[in-house]
Formats: sequence, C-alpha cells, structure tokens
Amino acid sequence: MPDSMPGAAVTTVAPAWAVAAAAILAGLVVLAAMLDGALTARANAAPGGSARPFGEAARLMRQRRRTTVSADSLLWRTGAAGLVVAALLMVAVVPLGEWTIFDLDVGVGWFNAMDVMVWALVWLTGWGANSAHSLVGGYRFLAHGLGYELPLMFALVAPAVAAESLNVGRVAAAQADLWFAVWMPVAFLVYCLGVVAFSVWGPFAPALGADVAGGARAELSGVDRLVFEVGRYALLAAGAAFAVPMFLGGGAGPLLPGWLWVLVKTGALLGILVWLRRRLPAFRPDKFMEVGWMVLLPAVLVQDLVVAVVAAGRG
Amino acid sequence: MGLIDTIGRLATRHTHVLVVEVPGWWRLRAAVERAVLARGWSLAVSPADADVLVVCGEPGPGMREVVDLVWHEMPGPRVRLDLQEYVDVARRLEEARLALLDDDRHRHDSRDRPTSADLLADEEEHPDHEHEHMDHGGGHEGMDHGEGHEHMDHGGGHEHMDHGGGHEHMHHGDMDMSPGGIPLAEGGEDRDGLEMDVLNVRLGPVLPHWPAGLVLRCSLQGDVIVDARAELVDGPPETTPEASHVAARRCDNVAALLALAGWEDASAEARGMRDALLDEHRPGAHSQAATSARLDRLQRRLRRSRVLRWSLRGVRRLSEDDVRRHGLPTHSAGDTYDRLLAMVDRVRSEETSVPGLDAGLLPSLVTGLDVATARLVVASLDLHELHAEHETHEVSHA
Repeated sequence: MPDSMPGAAVTTVAPAWAVAAAAILAGLVVLAAMLDGALTARANAAPGGSARPFGEAARLMRQRRRTTVSADSLLWRTGAAGLVVAALLMVAVVPLGEWTIFDLDVGVGWFNAMDVMVWALVWLTGWGANSAHSLVGGYRFLAHGLGYELPLMFALVAPAVAAESLNVGRVAAAQADLWFAVWMPVAFLVYCLGVVAFSVWGPFAPALGADVAGGARAELSGVDRLVFEVGRYALLAAGAAFAVPMFLGGGAGPLLPGWLWVLVKTGALLGILVWLRRRLPAFRPDKFMEVGWMVLLPAVLVQDLVVAVVAAGRG
Repeated sequence: MGLIDTIGRLATRHTHVLVVEVPGWWRLRAAVERAVLARGWSLAVSPADADVLVVCGEPGPGMREVVDLVWHEMPGPRVRLDLQEYVDVARRLEEARLALLDDDRHRHDSRDRPTSADLLADEEEHPDHEHEHMDHGGGHEGMDHGEGHEHMDHGGGHEHMDHGGGHEHMHHGDMDMSPGGIPLAEGGEDRDGLEMDVLNVRLGPVLPHWPAGLVLRCSLQGDVIVDARAELVDGPPETTPEASHVAARRCDNVAALLALAGWEDASAEARGMRDALLDEHRPGAHSQAATSARLDRLQRRLRRSRVLRWSLRGVRRLSEDDVRRHGLPTHSAGDTYDRLLAMVDRVRSEETSVPGLDAGLLPSLVTGLDVATARLVVASLDLHELHAEHETHEVSHA
C-alpha cells in the first residue's frame, strides 16, 4: 500500500508495527479474561478471580497434550490454533487513530472473510478429534453460523453504504458528525451479536456446551486448549476493536488522542460483551436459526434500505 | 527451578476437577463441587479438561471399569481421589494439590501409563471382553467418556508419536469396519426415509449434569436420537434417599437444568441454594428465611427471562394423558419450561421422599430429539432415584 494514497483517511505504518498490534490484542485478551475470571469468581463466591487467566495459562502450559485414536491431527491442531490467526488478521485492518498496518481498499470485506474463516476453524476443531461429542459441537457452530452470518454481513453493509467506501479508515472518517451506532442501531446490535457468535461466546456457546462434555473442545488439552481459548478471547477483542471505526466514530473524541480513544472504546465494548456471557441463557442453534432468518435478516435489510436512501438523498 | 515452581504453584491455584458420582452418593458429590468452587478451582466437563479425578462413593464393578477408562483419558499431570465417606473434602483437595506439584511422580506416571495401543491389545487378549464391547455397537465412539477408546491418551512422553499411533492399530481387528478399533457408522433411513449414517454412541455415565449411573445407548443420525436404550451401571443403588435432603436435591436438579440451558449465573445461584439447604441441618447455618428469600429471587429471575422461556418452551410437551401413559409423576405435564418452574415451586414442598423412576421410560421420551434437547428433557424430569424394571439392564462386565 502506498503511504500517500490520494485522499487516504489514515497513514499506513511500517509492517513491523504488526508486533505492536499483536501486543495490544494480547493486552485486550488478558483484560477480557481477567474480567471474566472476576465475574465467575463473584458468582461462585470464590477467591482468586482476576488472577485466573494467569493461573489457567500456567495450568495448560504444564498439562500434557493428548491425542485421540485416529485423530486427524493436522486439521485438528490447525483448527484450534487458527482462531488467534484469524483475530490477528482482523485487527490488521483496524486503524488505531490515524495509523493502520494495512490500509486495504476493501477492509470491510477482509474482516468479513476472516470471520467466515472461523466457521472452518471451529468445525475442524470438532472434526479433527474423531470423537462424537466434538463433532456434534462442530456442527452446532455451523448451525449457529447459518443463523448469524448473513445478518452480520448485511450489518457490515450499512456503514459501508453510508461512507460510500469499504475502506475502514474512510468509514471511520465519515462519522465526523454522528456515530453510525446512533443512526443505524439495528446494524450495530446485529454486528455485536455476530461478534459474540463468531467468538463462540456466551449465548452462542452451545458448540462448546457442557451437555456434550465441552463440544468442539472436548478433547483438547494442554497448549492446544490454551491457544483455542486465547483465540476465542482474541476474536471477541478483534470484533470489539473493529466496531470502533465501523460504528463508534473511530478515534474521534474530546481531549484524548485518537489512538487512546480507539482503545477506550474497544475496551468498553469488550467489557460489555464479556459481562454478557454469564447473564444470558444459550441460544439453542435450532431455535436461533429461525430468529436469524425471520427477525434479524429482515430487520437489518430494512436498516440497509434506510441507510441507502439517506446516503442517496445526501448525494 | 524457581520458574518451574512458580508456574506449578500458579497452575494449581486453578485446578480443574472432574467429579464422578456413584449412584446414591449425590451429597458427597455436592460437597466436593462446593469445596472445589470455594477454592477458586473449576469443575471439568471432560477428562481432557481435568487435572484431578474425584470419585464420589464406592463404585461397583461396572462403574470401576468406567472410572478407570476416564482415568486413562486424562492428560496428566493427574491425581485421583477416591472418596468413600463424608470426610474432610477440603483437606483431601489440598492433598491433591500437593500431589499435582510432585513432578517426579508425574514423570513416572507418564512413562508407565499404557498407550492406546496397549489398551486395545489388552482387549484383543480378552475376546469375551471385546465381544461385550462390540455387542454395544459403537460404544467406543466416546459420547460417554467412559468407553471411548479414541480418547486413550498417549501421555506426554508419547505425544510425538501420535501420528504413528493412529496407524498402529490399523492392523488390529477388522480394518474396514473399525479403523483404530472404532466401528464405523452404518447407513439407515432417516426421518424422511432418506439414507443417512447411523452412529451408535453412549450418553453417560460420566457426563456433567447427568443422572448418576445412567447410560443411554443411542443411535444417532446427525445429532438426532433415532433409537435409545437405557441401562443402569451396576443396577440401582442400594441406599435409600435421605428424607431431609429432598429440597436440596431438587435445587441440584434445577442447577443442572439451568447449566444445560447455558445460563451460568442462574445455575450458580441454584447451586448456592442447594448448599445452603444442605447446611440448614448444621448449627450456625443460614436461616430458613434467608433461603426462602433467595428462592423467591431465583423464581422471579427465571420467570422474567424471555430467552429462557423461548429456549425451553415447547420442548417435549407432555399432555396429562402422556404423563399417565408413561407412568410419570403428575407434575411432569407441560413442556420443559413448565417443568422447570414446577420444579422450583416444589423446592418448598414438605415432601420427604420422592418415588424412584424407571430408567426404561427415558428412551421413549428422548427418541426423535437432538442430543441438546434430550439432555434438557432428562434434566427437567427432576430425577432423584432411578431404578431399572428389568435387572438385565445392567452393564456390569463382572
């Protein structure tokens, strides 16, 4: 990407800064896991809440990896480790204030492609272990996917139409007057639902349910389980980060510098998504399918229509 | 050295415990669960996730075999606790923690434990045993975490051999029908009369939020149960239900159903109430009034949740006629949501004993449902004791 693309909304930094992006993502993962640990400890009236992620990580690094008979090891391990990669590729197109690593013209499409990749990764994790529980879990995720993916795609369309660009920096810049979350709330809510869903989080966790002994991750142990869990948190964090330029005005805000505003907004949204996990019962995949197609999809299409009419009126 | 010690200490602060309940020992299981959570530890949902295996009660021959297989499936470092009396659970857990830190012990354990190849070879040497397994179709598939050979752990030292491991048992037994000792799925007609794979799997007996000792041998098409058979490992328990604990047991059942519905906070609340009710008989415990207020709060919360209602409404609706025909208690009428609310209402009832239910009724209630819904239905029945009308249902290998 040329640094001085005419009319570019953000500055592309040297690729080496990807390390910094990964570090920020790691920081968000740790914060999210600490919050979840604290909330879990509170519900169980137990000690040691916010230190939990460190203890769990130490535990999993100390635990042995295991395998199963006739496991498809390559695909199994790929699935478990791939979630982190997908999350990293997502944040690559998220501008931190005025800087971005990858100023892609079709950044919105890129993000969407990454979240679709999660379908394959979670399913492979369920498939590879050659175990009925895991496989049931993997398919449950696909069933959820059929319900949430199309609404999520059309939710991403709304900001892009309003900004007349698929470039994430330009979408953020188009919100100078009013955040998209304010005048396209349906798209924003459906987007958030999609983030929770592709992170296999909270109400979208039946794929990892206790009723099938942990579902897709039933057979994972040690470092394999660690990267899988980190991947889920990373996806949640990446989804929250991407919401900032898409719906929450990017780096715009008083007093603080742009990059800090991006982090503050990301952290706040991430906190809400983490908190949601324990508060809601699961959305059963078979029932959610109906909601996805009969409620969410029409609602978000109407939202797109409204946005398109407004955008055309302005033009 | 210092780093390894630090990691070990940090790791054992968040130990995951797999609790196995032998039928008749639910109070010990509740005590263990409580002690585990109070330490800031977690309850594991599968052997792969567990560091410590706690067996609550004295297992019969069938259960012992199941527990041994679960033990083989744990990755290690691993520690096993066999509790057979209401001992000081917290102290035993602390011992387990110290045992987890004993690196030498785990080094030996990983070196000496059998590989999956050993375990499968063992089985070949005992054709009766093998036959018994084969009889049950694909019980090996591992729904149960009891018999599933595919879980056989290769242990840390063997990890790098895993690619070879799978192929090694290819020459064992019937190569086409059961690669790696696991029978393949067979074809069958599905609900629409189309050809679809049928996989035989066992649900239970080691499964979270599942009635102790119960095994459902299911034929699955996709995850829909097309056929099922219920069995009790080692037959029904000999203990009689303890009169004073009916309410606590009911809270435990509510907690299980809420956990299966994926609502962790509400499930934790029901579990906390179970513990408070178990405490009531001890001096210096919470007052009954406080427990009652808590129950009110939980009840309101359940009634208010639209997602819960949406999720459980219409799941296996039973009419009054159905209930009578199946010989179920009258409060089983309605759908799973009705049964949940009725169950919470009945926590206050003064009942001192609950008649046992014939496990043979379960298959007809879950056939045609997917695994998730079937689990919800079984949990909604408020099962206390199970008995088997036909003793032939035993799965004991002895």
